[in-house]
Amino acid sequence: MKKVILSLAFLSTMAMLQLNAGEQFTMSDADRAMYKEMLENNPAEIHVEEGGEILEESLGGEEALAKFLGVSEKDLPKYIAGFPRYVKKLGNVVGLDQVMQAMEAEQGKKKTKLKSGKMFSMMAYVKSLANDELVNIDLSEPHEKVAYELGKTTYMTARGGRGLACNSCHSADIVGQVLRTQPLPDLGEVAVAGTWPAYRMTKSSLRTPQRRFQGCMKNALLKVIPIGSKEMIALEVYVATLAQEKNKKISIPGLKR
Amino acid sequence: MHTKFKYLAITALFLSASSAVCAMDLTKAYDMPDATEMIKKDLFPAAKKYTMPKSCDLNDPKAIARGKYMFHNLNGKKAKKPAPEGLVKFVEKKGKDGKVKKKAKQFGNCVACHNIEGAKGAGNIGPSLESYKANFIDTNARDAQFVYQKIADPRIDNANTHMTVNLTTGLFNEQEICDYTAYVVSDKTKK
Ligand code: HEC
Ligand code: HEC
Repeated sequence: MKKVILSLAFLSTMAMLQLNAGEQFTMSDADRAMYKEMLENNPAEIHVEEGGEILEESLGGEEALAKFLGVSEKDLPKYIAGFPRYVKKLGNVVGLDQVMQAMEAEQGKKKTKLKSGKMFSMMAYVKSLANDELVNIDLSEPHEKVAYELGKTTYMTARGGRGLACNSCHSADIVGQVLRTQPLPDLGEVAVAGTWPAYRMTKSSLRTPQRRFQGCMKNALLKVIPIGSKEMIALEVYVATLAQEKNKKISIPGLKR
Repeated sequence: MHTKFKYLAITALFLSASSAVCAMDLTKAYDMPDATEMIKKDLFPAAKKYTMPKSCDLNDPKAIARGKYMFHNLNGKKAKKPAPEGLVKFVEKKGKDGKVKKKAKQFGNCVACHNIEGAKGAGNIGPSLESYKANFIDTNARDAQFVYQKIADPRIDNANTHMTVNLTTGLFNEQEICDYTAYVVSDKTKK
């Protein structure tokens, strides 16, 4: 049974990936004007709001979330700023999406797929609760430290059709250089951990950090690994520490090219 | 005897039921698909030395044309102009379900990192390869074998290279590496 569900999840992952065509060209003046306008009126605000409604109506809102996580509502923002993090009763370092699924299970509700618009909206809302908090991964927590190390390894491992690693294009000695009209971003400086989920203009949709990672994997011919896998969560932990080193704050939803 | 067992069983049932209510096991309640195997299969071999094959004809205009095409394009789906002789835009691949699927052929997209004559939107991660013949080949700073190795597997010359590996990954074959080499070292001044 479990296997069937898993392979279904894989299939839908694959199907969505087919849709994700290239993203090569930089902003035109028209794009830039649109970007400016969207900065004032980020289309993803709607998703955040919608995510809040879903959480409220189907799972009991922030109060239920805080209770589920075993923190006070007052401490909730800071706690959320530490995701992906080790949640003892889930037995792993997990993302906010997996927390949502576990809450659903506990309340006898149907699990929302990790890779679905509904889940992305819920995540965006929950993460936005931590707005203005510093990115805050706790590396003194042993499970999170292990995830950090796995994330670093995954980030550095060259693989796929062109023998590239994340680090091939995002290492300190190369950021700012131009790859086919695209300046290579410093993932700490652009605060990936603080700005995703974000509205992605080139995709006209709300995207999560792990979904964004998949975009780079696909473009650079690295085998695209599934959202929610240990390695994906670990990548997110590692990338979050890059923003943390630069004292970046959380500001959701982000707006990206 | 029997009643004692019954009593025990009922207590056990009661205990497990009540513990399920106050602390349901949530460690398997969410999705965590496996990626470890996928990554393992996706790793690629260590750096490898190559010798440019004798069959490599660097003056063949068709080879140069193919090299040029692959240099400036990412894949067959994105490439606008028709592919030159000896090259295709799509390849047929058997999927896991046994069905043959048309897949875009991958090209080098070398302009993503290198400027060269006629490049549009070239990147600057790698050195400019403009006037390569005059600057590097005619001056004996480089030879075709160096260029061939660089494209096939740049890690031999620079273990920490940012450049893509093209032959060791199996994305391209020897002839295609020859085509790239022929294009890079070709004289692009007369047109
Ligand atoms: C071949 C080069 C290349 C590789 C390999 C690569 N990236 Fe990227 N990445 C880019 C470029 C170029 C951009 C900027 C694109 C844009 O602005 O839309 C980018 C953007 C990103 C962003 C968005 C940054 C932001 O917030 O604006 C994230 C996150 C990211 N990459 C993560 C990764 C991860 C994780 C990996 C490895 C699994 C990876 N990348 C591998 C080239 C690469
Ligand atoms: C992701 C970036 C990137 C891509 C894609 C790339 N290169 Fe490079 N290339 C480099 C870098 C960086 C160097 C500098 C030497 C090094 O680090 O290995 C280089 C060096 C070279 C050189 C040696 C120049 C010299 O004489 O020192 C040649 C020739 C070359 N590349 C050809 C190609 C070809 C052909 C392709 C496409 C099949 C390609 N490159 C794709 C980044 C790239």
